[in-house]
Amino acid sequence: MTRTTNRHTTTCFESCGLRRQSDSDPWLTALNPALRRRAFSIVALVTALTLETALAAPAAIETEFDDQEVLISLPSEAIAPDTLPETAPALAERAQKYLVQARSQGDPRYLGYAQALFERWPENRMTDRLRILRATLNQSLHRFEPAREELTAVINTPNINQRLSSQARLTLANLELVQGHYKSAHSHCQQLANEFPGLIAASCLAQVEARTGKAQTAYQSLLALTRRSPASDSTSQTWALGTLADIAAQLGRPEAEQHWRQVLTLAPDDLYTRAQLADWLLERGENEAVIKLTETYEQVDSLAVLRAIAMKRHNHTDAGRLSAKLEERFSEARWRGTLLHQRDLARYALDIEGEADTALTHALANWQDQREPLDTRLLLRAAQSAGNDSVQADVRSWLDQHDQRDARYPEVRS
Amino acid sequence: MMAALLRLTSVFTALLVFALPVWAHKASDSFIYVDQTKSQIRIDLALRDLALVLPLDSNGDGQLTGAEVRTGREAITRLVDQGVTLSNTSGICQLTGRQWGLSRHSDGPYAAGLYQVACPDSLAPESLKYSLLFEQDPLHRALVSVTDSQGERLSVLAPDDQTLTLINSATTLGNSLKLFGTFLSEGIIHLLIGLDHILFLLVLMLPATLPLKTRRSGKHSGRGHDLKPRLLELVGVVTAFTVAHSFTLALAALEIVTLPIAWVETVIALSIAVAALNVFWPILGRKTWKLAFGFGLIHGFGFASVLGNLTSGVSQTVVALAGFNLGVELGQLVLLVVLFPLLYLCGRFRIYERAAVPAMLLMAGALSLYWVAERATAI
Repeated sequence: MTRTTNRHTTTCFESCGLRRQSDSDPWLTALNPALRRRAFSIVALVTALTLETALAAPAAIETEFDDQEVLISLPSEAIAPDTLPETAPALAERAQKYLVQARSQGDPRYLGYAQALFERWPENRMTDRLRILRATLNQSLHRFEPAREELTAVINTPNINQRLSSQARLTLANLELVQGHYKSAHSHCQQLANEFPGLIAASCLAQVEARTGKAQTAYQSLLALTRRSPASDSTSQTWALGTLADIAAQLGRPEAEQHWRQVLTLAPDDLYTRAQLADWLLERGENEAVIKLTETYEQVDSLAVLRAIAMKRHNHTDAGRLSAKLEERFSEARWRGTLLHQRDLARYALDIEGEADTALTHALANWQDQREPLDTRLLLRAAQSAGNDSVQADVRSWLDQHDQRDARYPEVRS
Repeated sequence: MMAALLRLTSVFTALLVFALPVWAHKASDSFIYVDQTKSQIRIDLALRDLALVLPLDSNGDGQLTGAEVRTGREAITRLVDQGVTLSNTSGICQLTGRQWGLSRHSDGPYAAGLYQVACPDSLAPESLKYSLLFEQDPLHRALVSVTDSQGERLSVLAPDDQTLTLINSATTLGNSLKLFGTFLSEGIIHLLIGLDHILFLLVLMLPATLPLKTRRSGKHSGRGHDLKPRLLELVGVVTAFTVAHSFTLALAALEIVTLPIAWVETVIALSIAVAALNVFWPILGRKTWKLAFGFGLIHGFGFASVLGNLTSGVSQTVVALAGFNLGVELGQLVLLVVLFPLLYLCGRFRIYERAAVPAMLLMAGALSLYWVAERATAI
């Protein structure tokens, strides 16, 4: 044997100076002292080089694990069928099921399963319903352009089923609203009101009007219409209530909370509404209410970030644990590169890590895609923290252009 | 947002949704860690993803237990064999399991395997191909970390990009140069710090610093005229020592011959004493180069023991060896360039050859005998 192992050397590194002669390791005593010291510093150097780059050090492999322990519960859909549904309606059912799962659980794996279905389904067998679903999938994955094109094509299909056309138009109106294309959104909402009049079309219009300078009247008229409408149509009711909440929040009216809570009673797994309410409460300093509202939703990034902020502000004993979890999630997401949750990442950077520049980068990237009030507010706050006046000026000029005012934007409060 | 459409569509589908445990929801990723410095690869696959392609849930209760995962180990290993390929120009590299068990990432438990990588030509793998799960989930990605002597870099493999080049020629060359440089300096430092090698060289050098006349009594050659033969003698000695220790250093570093280091160190110490003795009583002959060659063989094993410490985990042992060896020679050269002229000048004084040289030899001999005793008792 000509080698001394690193382990031996390390042992000596800790004790050599004290008892060089009595060192129990025969290999080391055989080396002269100068050599030994040299060897240690070299080993230390090699070790340092290895550690300094350990960016993505994984958790250790656990070789001993309990047979009885339940490691995970498999969602029933995880047993994904290898066989493609045979008919277009069956395929649509399955794809829609995946989309609803993804939405209600905040679980993007289902979006992947849905995409697998579409990739294997021949293009010439695509139906209008399938195309709407595919557009919805694309929108969920922030592929806004293909989604817009497909929805436009569906609307312009001759002799299309009225209900499908309305659905496509509503989806498109929403897409345009989210992206801040209010003119186009308004025109689709208007068309929807002609084709499919009711609370949903009215909500669609009210939302666009609220974001373009007429929040007060939009709120009043939608509220009146909602009260007149039959409560039996819970889908329309839920939708109108969600819209009312959003406009109330824009106006800074306390009714917002009440509307959101009504929505959550009707649809507890509406994660979007839950996040809106949590954000509202957080802004009001009601940290305990946020913690309660997000109790069983740590697995969903948007809610987990709001929860972590509330915990931090409340000096909650669990705050560090949740922040560490989020840090791990986001570092994995950064490695993956396709950042679906830039908004959450920006919020985390701004309010947990206090890294204004990182927050601004992600908030700005997010704002290129999505311009809902919470996106806009986040960007303004990040720009303010980072001391970036030009971004703030750009956003304000965009808001002025659309006459958009929102009680949640920072300049209103200051 | 999109909630709108789904609120509308929920008219047609009323779904009951159960909350899952607290694991985060994220898109599906596998984690692959390639460590070129250790010739290892670690592959972590999410249990939830594995359940898509393998019948892991043997009792069909929708839950995976430790026992079910253990039972599925063989199937998982087979899947990895089919879906993960490391290769280089000599062909596909063999993966040998080192460790297997559970790991975790932010979204839950993963099955993790650590494998030793052996390519047909024993060189590092150059490419990684990954094709698992893409068919079931086109949004699936393999997150790959590659660690080599330059550090760690991260990549992502996707359905339309399933192959990763692990090595590019620029970095390989850069790596090799950097490695060579590191070991070159280690070689120099090692020689200059290792007192026993210096003493041995000194003892070999001393005769050449003395005027020839004193060594061949009776013949008179004028001072200053014998520089050339004395230099030649020195070059011969050093070359013999170098050739010998380079040879055994290579043998030991490439693990062709291994000797117990304690014995080697003892013999090295002894070699100094013997060389010193040989100056007074040439028991091993007047040809110093033969002595230098013989003991040089042993000194090579001594150098190798230090090199072995440094190269554990270095895949390019040959480059490291070349750098280290050259470093030792450079250190040796520096020593000669500084010491020889100095001692040569001293050689003009009678006191040098009468007292200084014997004193130095005596001291070197005594010190080396002390080392012999110390090292031998430690064996």
